[in-house]
Parts: sequence; C-alpha cells; structure tokens
Amino acid sequence: MALATASGPSNATAPTFGVAGTRRWILPVAAFGLLAIVAIAVNPNVPSWMDIGLQKWVRDRYMWTVQNSNTSWIFTSVFNPLSDAINWMVESVQWILRTLRWPGVLALFAAIGWMTAGIRAAVSGGLAMAAIAVLDVWEPAMVTLSIMVTAVSIALVIGIPLGIWTSRSDRAERVLRGFLDTAQVMPAFVYLIPVTIFFGIKYPPAVIATVIYAVPPAVRLTSLGLRSVPTVMNEVGESFGCTSWQQLLKVQLPMARSTILLGLNQVIMMAFGIVVIASLLGADDLGNLVLKGLQKNDVGAAFVPGLGIVLLAVALDRISTGERSTPTRPPLIKLPTVDRRTGTLIALGTVVVAAAIAKLADVTAIPDALTVDISGTINDAVGWVQDNLRKGVPVIGGTQAINDFLVTDVLEPLRKFLVWLPWLLVVVVVAGIAYLSKGWRLAVGCSACLLLIGTMGDIPGGADGRTHLWDLSMDTLSQVLVAIVISVAIALPLGVWAGRSDRAQQVMRPFLDTAQVMPQFVYLIPVLFLFGVGRGAGVVASVIYAIPPCIRLTGLGLREVPYTPREAAISFGATERQELVKVQLPLAFRSIMLGINQTILMVLATVIIAALVGAGALGLVAYEGFTKPIQKIGQSAAAGLSIVFLAIVLDRITQAWGTSPDQQRRS
Amino acid sequence: MLPAHGDLWGASVTDPMIEVRGLWKVYGHRAERIVGSPEADLPRNELEARTGCVVAMREVDLDVAQGEVFVVMGLSGSGKSTLVRCLTRLIEPTAGTVRIGGVDVTKADDQQLLDVRRHKVSMVFQHFGLLPHRSLVDNVAFGLELQGADKAQRRELAASTLELVGLRGMGSYKPHQLSGGQQQRVGLARALATNPDILLFDEPFSALDPLIRREMQDEVIRLRTEVRKTMVFITHDLSEALRLGDRIAIMRDGRFVQVGTPAEVVLNPADDYVRNFVRDVPRSHVVPVDAIMDPLGDGPYGGDIAGDTKVRDVVGRVATTELPLRVIDPSGTPVGSIDRMGVLSVIANEDL
Repeated sequence: MALATASGPSNATAPTFGVAGTRRWILPVAAFGLLAIVAIAVNPNVPSWMDIGLQKWVRDRYMWTVQNSNTSWIFTSVFNPLSDAINWMVESVQWILRTLRWPGVLALFAAIGWMTAGIRAAVSGGLAMAAIAVLDVWEPAMVTLSIMVTAVSIALVIGIPLGIWTSRSDRAERVLRGFLDTAQVMPAFVYLIPVTIFFGIKYPPAVIATVIYAVPPAVRLTSLGLRSVPTVMNEVGESFGCTSWQQLLKVQLPMARSTILLGLNQVIMMAFGIVVIASLLGADDLGNLVLKGLQKNDVGAAFVPGLGIVLLAVALDRISTGERSTPTRPPLIKLPTVDRRTGTLIALGTVVVAAAIAKLADVTAIPDALTVDISGTINDAVGWVQDNLRKGVPVIGGTQAINDFLVTDVLEPLRKFLVWLPWLLVVVVVAGIAYLSKGWRLAVGCSACLLLIGTMGDIPGGADGRTHLWDLSMDTLSQVLVAIVISVAIALPLGVWAGRSDRAQQVMRPFLDTAQVMPQFVYLIPVLFLFGVGRGAGVVASVIYAIPPCIRLTGLGLREVPYTPREAAISFGATERQELVKVQLPLAFRSIMLGINQTILMVLATVIIAALVGAGALGLVAYEGFTKPIQKIGQSAAAGLSIVFLAIVLDRITQAWGTSPDQQRRS
Repeated sequence: MLPAHGDLWGASVTDPMIEVRGLWKVYGHRAERIVGSPEADLPRNELEARTGCVVAMREVDLDVAQGEVFVVMGLSGSGKSTLVRCLTRLIEPTAGTVRIGGVDVTKADDQQLLDVRRHKVSMVFQHFGLLPHRSLVDNVAFGLELQGADKAQRRELAASTLELVGLRGMGSYKPHQLSGGQQQRVGLARALATNPDILLFDEPFSALDPLIRREMQDEVIRLRTEVRKTMVFITHDLSEALRLGDRIAIMRDGRFVQVGTPAEVVLNPADDYVRNFVRDVPRSHVVPVDAIMDPLGDGPYGGDIAGDTKVRDVVGRVATTELPLRVIDPSGTPVGSIDRMGVLSVIANEDL
C-alpha cells in the first residue's frame, strides 16, 4: 500500500535523457553501481534473520479462530452474524430460483435481457440458460448464480454510494483510490486466505471475497460517470435551482447512467470470475465440479461444468450489457412499442406465468430425455488429441514439442538464472528499472516490495528440508515474464491489425467479447487438453487469458487516434507504414501501454490458477493453504503476499511507462 | 480605474432590475486579499507569478432596467461568462454585491438563492445544455419540476412553450434528434417556461450557423418587444451586440471599458481597443436619426419619422422627397428635422 503514494502525480524527479548533459547521471549511476557491488558481495540468499515470523503468526491466528469461533465476542457478535446473514441471503435467492423452477428462471433471464437490451439479448440469454439445462449442470449453476446475485447486490449497495461520495470529494477519491488500486492488482486468491479465517467455509467467504473484488469497479465507474458529466450540465441544474440532492437525482445520475450500467456489467463479470474460483472454499457449484475434474486429470468431467460456466457467463453478460445504441432519428414508422411500465409488467407476467405452468405441470428437474452427457465424447476427443496433436504434427511438432521447448529451453534456463543471481542484485536491478521508468520514489517503493518478499521466511519441504521462498518467487517471476513476452508478442501485432482493418476487427470481435467474460478457470480445460500438466501448460493458460485485453486496448488506442494528424502526415507524403509508425502508434502509445499493463495483471491473476495444471511455484504453495489449512495456511499466506508484491512491482513499473512524459517523448 | 463609472454609465437607470456593485472574481489561494489591492492592477502573468491568483473580473458596476436588453461583449477570456455566472452565484463572486429584483443575492441563504434561481432568473447556455435523457417536453418542464409543479400542469405549460418557439408537436423527441438551432429553441423554451423576470444568455448562438443565428436573434428581438423581459446577453460577436442591445458593455481583462447605447459605442469609442472593434461598423446601421437631427424649423416637411429609426432606414425616404423629414419622439411630439444632406453626411463618413 506504500506504493500507492509512489504513483502520485509528482514526477519532478523523473530523469530526462540527453537533455541536461551527463552530469546529472553521475550520481544515479554511481549509486546503483555501488549498491550492485554491495548486493553481490553480501549473502547471495535471503538471510534467515530477515524472517519476521509471518507464517507462524498467520498459523497461530488461524488456530485461534478455529478454537474460538464459538466463544470469542468477535465471532459471536460480528463475523458469525455476518456469516449467518450472508447464508440467509444466498439461501433466499436459491429458494426463489427453486420456486421459479427452471422454466421460470429461463423466462426471467429472457425478460431481463429484453428489458435492458432488447430482443436479441433476451434470446441469447434464454438460449444459454437452456443449454445449461440440457448439459445437466442446472443445480450447480443455480448455486453459482445465487452466490453471484448475493455478492453483486452487496457490492452495488456498497459501491454506488462510495462512488457518489468519491465523485464529490477529491479527498475521498484520493484516499479510496489507493485501496481500489491495490484491491484490483491483487490476485483473487489472496483475498480468500483472510476471508476463510474469519468466515469459515462455503458461501460466506465466497460472497465476501467476491464483494471485495467487485466493489472497486462499482466505485470507479460510478465516480467516473458522475465526474464526466459536463460542467455545463451541472450549471444548468444549478441555474434552475436544483438542490444538491436534486442535482444528483435529476441531472448527474441520469447522465452517468450508461457508464454506471457499464459498471454494473463489469461488476457482474468480475464477480463471476471470482465466484467460480471461490469454489475452492467448498460450495457445491460449477467451479467446484471443474476443480474436481482438474484434480483427477479427467478432462471430460471438467469440461461439462466448464462449458456451463461459459454459458452462464455469456448469459449474464448479454442481459447486463444494457442498450447498445439508441435510434438517432425520429422513428418514421411507429413500431408497436410499449412504454417502460407496460414493458416491465409484460416481462414480469411472463416469468410468473412460466413459473406457474412449471408448478402446475410439476416440472422439477430437467427431464432426462432432454439432457445430453457429453463428457464421454470429450474424453474420446482428448484421447484422439493426445494421439494425434501432441506429437508428430508437421513443422511445429505438436503441442508436446512446444511444451518441451517452453520448459527446457526457455523457462528452466530463465528460472535457473534468476535463482542464481544474488537476491539483492535482483532488487537493485529492479530498482534501477523503476528509477529509469519514473524516478526515485518508484525505485524505493519497488525495492521495498521485493525486500518484503525476503521477510516472508522459508517454507518447509524441498530437497534440503526447506525451500527458499525467494527461489519460488523467481520461479513464478520467470513464468510470468515468459507469459508476458509471449502474450505481448502475439497480441500487439493482432491489436495493430484490428486497429487498422475493419475486417480484422469484425473477425476478432466475437472472440474477444467472449474471451473477456470468461473466468480464468475455463482456460485451463483446453490447455490441459492440449498440453497436459506442467509449467508449459500454466504459461499457455496465462497467455490465452491475457491476450484479449491487450489486443482490445491496442486496437482501441489506434482507432481513437484522431484522423486530423494522420491526414496531415498523409498529405506530407507519408507511406502507410510511416504514418503508422510515426503518427498513429506514438499517439496510441498510452493506450497500448495500458494494454500491456492489463496483460501483466491478467498473467499474474492466473499464476495461482496455473498451479492447478502443474505450474508449481508460489501458486502451488498458496493453493495448498486451502486444501490443508491447518498445516499450510501460514506458508500459503506468505506465498500469496509474495505474489501481491510481485504484482505491485510489475504493475507500477508498467504503469509508469504509460504515463511518464519522458517515455512518451522517446517513443 | 474609473471609480465614477457607475454614475456615468448606470445612473440613467432608476429602480433597476439587476444592480451590481463592485463585483470581483479572483481565482487562487486567499483570493479576497487581491480585491482592491495594488496587486490587482498588475499584468495577468505577473500577478499569477507573484501571488498565484488570477483576476477574472474586477470592479464591475452595472444596472439593468426592467425590460432592458443589456449586452456584454468581449473576447474569450475577458470575463464575460464569469460575470453572468456570478449574477446567480453559479460562480461565487469574491467581492461585491448583486441585487436582483431587490433581493441581495450575494447575501442570500441557500433557500433564498434557490428561490431566485427557480422563479426569477433563467439561463440559456452556449452549448444548449439540454438533458440528453429527457424528452423535449421534460427538458422544457425542468424548471417547473424544480418549482414543484405537478406533472400534468408542467407538461401542459411546457408543451405550449415549445409551441411558442416553433417546435409544436415535437415534445416527445429526444434532444439528439434535433438540429443545433432547434436545440437552442428548446433551451430558450426551457428558460421561458418558468416565466422568469430575467433571462441570462451565455453566448447562446455562437455555436449556430449564421443563418440560424440570425433567426434566433430575431426570436430574441421578438421577446423583447412582446414580453419585455429583462435580459443580459453575453456575446463575442459585435454585430450581434449592436443588433440586440439597448445598451452594450465592452469587457476586456475582466473590466468594463465602455458602457453605452450602440450608437454611443460606435460614435464615441472610449479607447483604442473599442475603436478598433467598431472600426468596420457602418455608422448608418447604428446611428438613429435623433442623434444627428437638426433643430425643428418652420417646414414644410416631407413626412414624419420616429426618432429611433436608424439612418440607413431613412435613405429611401429622403431619396423620394426634396423636403426634410420631421423627427418625432415616442409620444408623437416633433423634436427635430432631418434632411438629405444630414443622411448623406453620415453615410459619407462611414469609414472614419
């Protein structure tokens, strides 16, 4: 959190290149040189005296909560009632869903889709839900949905008022911003550890972890929407005598409506990604079924609930996207449109009728005749893939060959190199990069983060009885770096292509749209399918997860470059290539950097998940805390925090690339 | 500094609708210490470097009579938008008083201020400022809604106001379905719907095409003659100012450099700045005949002409008769005469 300040507006210390001559370089170069020498000279490994005993502390706290969860006032009067309330909410939603029965729920999705986005959303939302029924994963899908609905409602109740507050007070904005930034950088798993400690297992920790993750986009987009209301509109309201309350209700909120709705969509999708992960805590939902399949390396068993997750994600996304466009001209032909109130009544009526018919006809479960079991087919396909695609494919050699190359020729050498480096030298080098990127403050912040990893202590196990957490961090870092490089190398050209060609954009768009709403979990299934288990698979899963936002933001950045400067370049005789390189790319630089930054966050978010397909390293240690909390919660917390520190360092440095004026000049 | 200019330029107004005294707006830390201090007269960037403050408007005195159209003209950054916003405290003035219809706005509490904004003053904005999520009729009804009028009543009133500005039957449209000119008609209707005593216009037509702009100006002229609203009109367009204003204030660097009727400003510019501005304005377009008439003689006369007729509009009359015309004031009393030579001399000196 100390890093929040390092990203502040002050970049007065940012170095400039070649302008002020060499003199101002003497001090930094000397300082870093000296530090590097010291770093090499001292202990190449993290000294044991740096261990601050965090692991034991966490374990003790956990044991204490296990022993006192029915006696201590903090549980009996705070956490337990909260848990009970959340359980009650989730179960109420489940009761409603059960009462509606599946025809009623289908009708509900269609009705919401119709009301928010029109007939197409209604059809696609309804169809996706019907497919879930056909796949025979309806019950776990309803569990997932009930956790979702509860978490999103809570997130909105918290997030929208906070958003309104931050839009009206700069101080509130500054204070909250630090929290929100940190909350969004942290991989979801990290929340699960403390949340499990306080809220036990099953629904409450899942809901709380989801709320923590979903509140930031709600706050951010509410605040953004309200702040982007043009000044003149505020003046209009004021000049006609609005009180500040009326101003909010009659001017600002309606004008911010589309941004806030976009926020709602993001909140839902964010929440969805986490709800699925929260299955680790033992809710009997879709994610849990996927997890069980993955743990047994049974692709077929993981695939069906995985597909259920995809379908539910698509359904939720479609019905929460809101109106895509409004007619720009007065309608020439009056279609039989209905006003809002009648529309709502019709929609609700449909739902009630569907539920009533289901009740009268006593439809409880989906009839067996309607469902299909595709897991056998999937497993056959997996067999075929293993026989045919893993090896012996011409030119590329098959996925096994790619995997082997990634592991033996890229990941392993890099990991060994990073582990071999004296640990303080890594800190100094990262600090140097941070200094060049933004200045002293960032350098100090980044070194602090890395040094904090050193304070986490070693973990038991491994070759000589203990494993250095630092070495695991370097292992994770090597995977992250490789995944980032591959993602960017694939995504940037595709993004440029999508930004330049309408056809490319059209072709990629449906893929990107769908990819964006998928929880990370889902990506593991095909990866496992093709690459088997191991670090290679982990990297590939991260890459697949991280590419879409990078393509999207690069393309968007290029498209947002105003045409005038491009036209000017063309009028001076620039070739298409020159125009791209000299005008469009530099002007889209910030957006592209934002894309790369997002890529990095996505990769980091996948790190723990990748442990499920055998990527090991920090992710595995963090994950083990959920399976055997009593033995391993301490080291799990240490690994989780180390991931957070790595995440903060990578996030802040790449964010600096996107904002530093110096970098912009050099581009 | 012209300490007496309130008397010089505003004294003709008795019982003013808007009364502004010593109004300042200074931006920056501890802005109030700049007001009236010697620093206030420093050049803009020197003041900013020394104190961190920027003076947007200084020492403005102003009286606007009931039914008068008062135009404030200046280039961008001259402080004219600040002035109009300070009148209803959309921007909080740093010093000075504003009285509207006898109420001291600068000392008003929240409720009184809301009252002024809801009932006494309405504003028309440069980029229309229509609420995009509301239909036209609900946009026009906005002020009524804030006054607390019930739905049926305010819709009816709004629909008839829309009709008044020539948008009959379009009440259910959304603003984005209209052209710029139509949107500003809605903006005008919204301001009129609450039947305020005072209309404030903040460069309302600058975003419109010249033809549409002229149409809208005609609309304002119609309002002036038909409903006699008091208006404060901000513009950067001199011809608009001359066309609409009963009186014009020329603003520069936050202060009034001259206040007067269009004829006064054109014929006797207060300084080189104003002179430069009005250089290309044909005198005959702004000078009324009573400003150049000869004393009343024995006659005979070729006819009567109203004293406020512009010189260019009598060219046709003097061309058809050898005899001078008799000038009469609004009550019909003969006050002087004008002949062909008088008219020609104005036109001949056009380029001076």
